[in-house]
Amino acid sequence: MRDCPSASRTAPLPALEPLTLDLDETKVALPSFGGGMSAWSQRIVVEQRRWMSNESFITGLTVARLFPGPNQINMAVYIGAQFRAFAGAVAAVGGILLVPFSLLMLIGVVYFQFHAAPAVDRVLTGVVAAAAGMALSMGFKILHVYWRDPLALGLAALTFVVLEFKGIGLIPVVLVLGPIAMALYWPRQQRHG
Amino acid sequence: MVDPSSAWDTWLQVVWTFLRLSLFSLGGGNTLLAEYHHLSVERFGWITSSQFADIYVLAGAAPGPSSMIVGLLGLGAGWDHGLGWGLLCGVSAEVAVLLPSTVVMVAAALSWNRLKDAPIRTAFERGLGPITLGILFHVGLTVLRTADHSVVAYLVSAVVCALMLFTRISPLYFMAVAGVLGAIGVIPS
Repeated sequence: MRDCPSASRTAPLPALEPLTLDLDETKVALPSFGGGMSAWSQRIVVEQRRWMSNESFITGLTVARLFPGPNQINMAVYIGAQFRAFAGAVAAVGGILLVPFSLLMLIGVVYFQFHAAPAVDRVLTGVVAAAAGMALSMGFKILHVYWRDPLALGLAALTFVVLEFKGIGLIPVVLVLGPIAMALYWPRQQRHG
Repeated sequence: MVDPSSAWDTWLQVVWTFLRLSLFSLGGGNTLLAEYHHLSVERFGWITSSQFADIYVLAGAAPGPSSMIVGLLGLGAGWDHGLGWGLLCGVSAEVAVLLPSTVVMVAAALSWNRLKDAPIRTAFERGLGPITLGILFHVGLTVLRTADHSVVAYLVSAVVCALMLFTRISPLYFMAVAGVLGAIGVIPS
């Protein structure tokens, strides 16, 4: 089976109610903390429901990481789009977000109502420090990928310095440095075959 | 405080802010955190810096994608205008930040076969990686400065960062332990 199910599938897609998609995506979303989400969705989408081949699923993960947007949500868009293009994507994203987002809004309302309480404040001081450590680790986590590539390290350093010390916003930085970086990494050799 | 015209202004501010940032969420969305902080705390004053740090934690610890922090930022922005406005701004913020990237992702999902061997794909993938790396370090430092106000807090962050890199322990444990340390007053706020 080829990569893109919408264009090249020989068997027709199963008739699918958007609600089914919603419910399954909700099952995927809930146990998602700590990166277990893609394994879960793989089990449901590929093994249980057989909506797409494992190969298309893996391709989807790549595309979801590559394009702008949260990875998990992009993956839901990829899966949903195979069925009903934009409508399928909206159903899938709705399904993946509905329960957790409602829960988070509820947590948010409680927070804004009570965050001034001293006990809450003290606990949060600790938790926030731990979370900051997690945020700091994100860059280090992918640093090894570029470790042997001086050009990449130079571009990363330039991006960091401009953002950190020049106070220029993210959008202008990406709009200027993005195309420059793409030009520098434009593949030079023509591939044959 | 409940002035409808200023509430609408806030709503428009929220929607426009997240709509235009959507397509810049490289590397899974965490790259936008520093920009969120800059806009919601410094430029628009929707929330305070310490509320931002708290919200970051809530979004990370709650089940579901951590990018839902946008909903909480919207909620905080509309909060002064009443609960209804808060929820409206929260939902609108989330829809706004997801809509443009979803449209692009649908197009990508449906046309990936044709793009697969195009040079622009390779350039995009390889070129934007280093930019993302630079942004992530900036984001890490921004969150650190926002969250930590004492040497002990910086120490906790550094230890958690190292544990994240060298062990596979779930971050929920780190947050729980640090929360206890905070509760017994070890970490000055």
